[in-house]
Amino acid sequence: MSLLPYIFRRILQLIPTLVFILVVVFVLVRLLPGDPASALIGDRALDADVQRINHELGLDQPLPVQFLYFLKQVATGDLGNSLSLKAPVIDIVAQRLPVTILLTTMAAVIALLFAVPLAFLAALRQDGVVDTVIRGVFQVGLSMPVFYLGLVLLTVLAAGLHWFPVGGYGETFPDRVYHLFLPALTLALSLAAVLMRNLRSAIIGVLGAEYVDFARAKGLKSRLILIRHVLRNALISTVTLFGLSVGTLLGGAVITETVFAVPGAGRLMIDSIYGRDYPMVQGLTLALAVLVSLTFLLTDIVQAWLDPRVAR
Amino acid sequence: MTVAAPTATTTPRRRRARLLRLPSTLIAGAIILLVSLLLALFPQLIAPYDPTAFDYNALLAPPSAAHLLGSDSFGRDVLSRVIHAYGLDLQIAVFATVPAFTVGVIVGALVGYAGGWVEAVFGRVVDAVITFPFLVLVIAIVAVLGPGLTNMYIAVGVVGWVFYARLVAAEVKVQKRLDYADAGRVMGYRPLRIIFRHLLPNSITPAIVYWMTDMALAILLGSSLGYLGLGAQPPASEWGVQIADGKNFMNTAWWISVFPGVAIVITGLGFSLLGDGLAELLRTRK
Amino acid sequence: MKTVITAALAVTLLFGVSQSALAVDRGGTLAYGRYADSLFLEPVLNDGNVDIWVLSNLYDTLILPTDDGQGLRPGLATDWKVSEDGLSVTLTLRDGIKFSDGSPITVDDVKWSLERAAKPDNGIWQFLVQSIDHVETEGDKTVVIKLKKTDPAILSALTVFNTGIMPKKLFEAAAGATDAEKAKAFAEHPVSSGPFMLQSWQKGADMKLAKNPYYWDKGEDGQPLPYLDGIDFQVIPDDATRILKLQSGELQGAEFIPYARVSELKNDDNINMELFPSTRVEYVTLNVRPQLNGKDNPLSNEKFRQALNYATNKRAIIQIVTHGVGTEMTSFMSKATPLHAGDTPLYPYDIAKAKQLMSESGVPAGSELTLLTLAGNQDEVGIATALQQMWQALGVKLNIQQVDNASRTEQYRAGTFQMRLAAWTDDIADPNEITSYFAYSPTIDAIHTSWKNDEVNKLFEQSQSETDPEKRREEYARIQEIFNSTGPIVPLYETPYPVALSKKVHDFVQIPLGNNIFRSTWMSK
Repeated sequence: MSLLPYIFRRILQLIPTLVFILVVVFVLVRLLPGDPASALIGDRALDADVQRINHELGLDQPLPVQFLYFLKQVATGDLGNSLSLKAPVIDIVAQRLPVTILLTTMAAVIALLFAVPLAFLAALRQDGVVDTVIRGVFQVGLSMPVFYLGLVLLTVLAAGLHWFPVGGYGETFPDRVYHLFLPALTLALSLAAVLMRNLRSAIIGVLGAEYVDFARAKGLKSRLILIRHVLRNALISTVTLFGLSVGTLLGGAVITETVFAVPGAGRLMIDSIYGRDYPMVQGLTLALAVLVSLTFLLTDIVQAWLDPRVAR
Repeated sequence: MTVAAPTATTTPRRRRARLLRLPSTLIAGAIILLVSLLLALFPQLIAPYDPTAFDYNALLAPPSAAHLLGSDSFGRDVLSRVIHAYGLDLQIAVFATVPAFTVGVIVGALVGYAGGWVEAVFGRVVDAVITFPFLVLVIAIVAVLGPGLTNMYIAVGVVGWVFYARLVAAEVKVQKRLDYADAGRVMGYRPLRIIFRHLLPNSITPAIVYWMTDMALAILLGSSLGYLGLGAQPPASEWGVQIADGKNFMNTAWWISVFPGVAIVITGLGFSLLGDGLAELLRTRK
Repeated sequence: MKTVITAALAVTLLFGVSQSALAVDRGGTLAYGRYADSLFLEPVLNDGNVDIWVLSNLYDTLILPTDDGQGLRPGLATDWKVSEDGLSVTLTLRDGIKFSDGSPITVDDVKWSLERAAKPDNGIWQFLVQSIDHVETEGDKTVVIKLKKTDPAILSALTVFNTGIMPKKLFEAAAGATDAEKAKAFAEHPVSSGPFMLQSWQKGADMKLAKNPYYWDKGEDGQPLPYLDGIDFQVIPDDATRILKLQSGELQGAEFIPYARVSELKNDDNINMELFPSTRVEYVTLNVRPQLNGKDNPLSNEKFRQALNYATNKRAIIQIVTHGVGTEMTSFMSKATPLHAGDTPLYPYDIAKAKQLMSESGVPAGSELTLLTLAGNQDEVGIATALQQMWQALGVKLNIQQVDNASRTEQYRAGTFQMRLAAWTDDIADPNEITSYFAYSPTIDAIHTSWKNDEVNKLFEQSQSETDPEKRREEYARIQEIFNSTGPIVPLYETPYPVALSKKVHDFVQIPLGNNIFRSTWMSK
């Protein structure tokens, strides 16, 4: 299949991107005001304590020396120790990242399940009652801050009706899916709204295009037209948007994970930034960058499949 | 609904009918936004109170004749704060998205048309921007420039343009292989003319639709950053910050967060309708 | 007849009381929602409250604090005696005390643990026990602590987390070359001396403690404590979610309830809304350096600081921010701190006096001040917004700058900040810690403000080795008088610890220093 070289090329292209991101993050976290020692100890730190800790962590070395040391570490597959959690970064990432992957995957699936059928329904009944209701509901969903929406869902569906647990993360896989349903739904709603709006508009556009009129003139049945022509062409920009939104989804996970007490990588990221936990931020960035790049690649492949011209 | 045009599935003659009229959605959206703009420009004419004035005798007062939408934990009038927030929130919606939209659309059109190595390089840039942790960027910028909305505009701009660029590039790529683009080339038009006069108008719809959603999303992002303390600074009133303020009072004083939420819904609706209307207009102009 | 009834009533009452006191249910795991997880469960090397507040469940000290946090009661030692010259403390170890692996706690473990805590440069809490020179043992029950100088706070120091007793042999057998490396390795699989031991820990999410089967203390039923089988500390950073989880019965306790929700939860039939007395004080720190970043700093003017103080309506702030939960401060240290002096609120709101002081100070109206607050902290934003409004009356424009903790700490330590909001809780039942940080300039320049008073410095040094309690009380009274009237802070309020518990939970206490004590907590079935 002609897609294979394309995929291979794209994976090779990932490497310079990742190196670039690592360099930027490495420098950026060190440019932030405040050092790990004062973040760790806080207000009561004495100067001697701070100097001692910075020395222990090797942070009194010049930046290039630190970077070389860091590169050496990464090359041997070691991401160092977390400064605040005092455990290997690799172990913590291995613990936290799967949680976030599960959460965002569920959110993406939920968003698609909502967006695609409803977009069709709305587009086919453009400006009708169904269209208006669907768009109205999504507008409200789109206008609620994630933390507020999360609390409303928790209050009503979890604490009120006891359909779901109030936050947390389960022990077994089905239990975890159950725990993550509400956070995933919260995360999914704004993405679903974005995708729904885009897809609805695209379908309306395609339905009006000449080739659909042409197909209809050729006497193709309506359902065939919908699937073969409309969906394929309308999905192009939606898939692009979907791929781009993976980063946004992970950003939303920071707040969703906080509200729902989900021990994922998003929450850890912000804690680590605030804690100036340099090795942890670097390790997490690397892991998340790989994750996003792969998803991005996946959407590109889907797009190439939808429209083979893209891969050329 | 006299202005409502017949739907696409019902008649193929709609194009001629529409040429003369503006889409109803466009008009509705424009009206909502016009009213919002008036509120943003002249809040003091309508707001009953100073939005920053405390009233110790009316802490957390429920909606009443004195405070139509109630008061918050400082005894500030919620209605006045919602009205005074229009200026800031419309500013957020526009400033956070217009630069990204402009840059993104232009870059996207050029990249989509050029293809080849230009597109490959662009792909790497997009990868880097998308995979870069957004919050690290925001916090870093805030750390350098101090907290406030300007930082948010910069951070959103640095990341946001790639969305538009990717959307437009993908569409242009498809469009440039269609017959009319070839026709342009055959007739000897310069590439820039083909891109901006012919390809772009046919490829920009998804970007415009997304832009309108993006404006509502920008207001929400302001709210999330407000939740983290990185957004609008007190005592300025801003819907997102108001909602965050009301979080502890969901059960006891719901009005603190619900009414700013309603304002976001209405404004967001205005943007959406305008976006749909513009998309329709562009389609009919084809 | 009447007397008979009364007597019968008294008997039933007595009987009833003793009955219910005996009817303690054993067993069960208590799920407790925490705001943030611990980072390093290490008595000596930990860095803050997230660790300190749970450590006393894992490591017992020789002496234990009473529930009001001010008195002493026997712990791993049954009695103690300070020598006549005040230079040594002799303690007797309890019989039959064991670590959680069943091995005995010996005088060697005690000597090693105390000397490790007192070693300079080992952790940030060494100053609490810096008077310890070395520890001697006599036989297998007696420990003698030799001091470098007399130390009036030494007995209190022996109740503090960093003097918790750890197993010397196991610690030294842990992997690593340095004390820090060994501590890290040991903390992965700790063996404890307190009522509980670590069972499992998913950092940042969930920490489970199980009862220590070898714990020495006995419950009301004569059986060993603790009553609980275990504690499940769950990390739930969002306040509202923590409360919802308690209300839905998934938790039996939740810490750091927002003040805004205290009265609402008091009315909840299934919840005990506890407000434990604390040593927590909230205040604005004022940098008094004459120049800041090359500009004149009006805060160096004492009258101006007093004007700001009188213009601050503390009662209004207590109402707006703590919803009536807080109380006005009567000294820079909390009322729960031993030797606290002062019975009237500091700087009662008086705008006329404030305006007069303002004009006497010569600071021009229209002056701008900048206040650093913690980004996303609702209480701090609330205080800052209120101050902004209140100081407007003096013609002072307050700029609020929200920053994250590390940025603020950096400006704070460098002394380049102008004003910041801050909170303090004591770690020892003695006024020496807070006074050393706030008022004694050699420690950290009086909370980094560069405020300095020679009399205060002299009095503090005297009080640190003062063995006459009455004299020490007088010294502290004078220190507080000086600091409260001329010092570099705007005192705001003191607040209790708001903890919400299920009605099933009994005898849980958070002492004024913040330690969560689950030793004799039990849950009714």
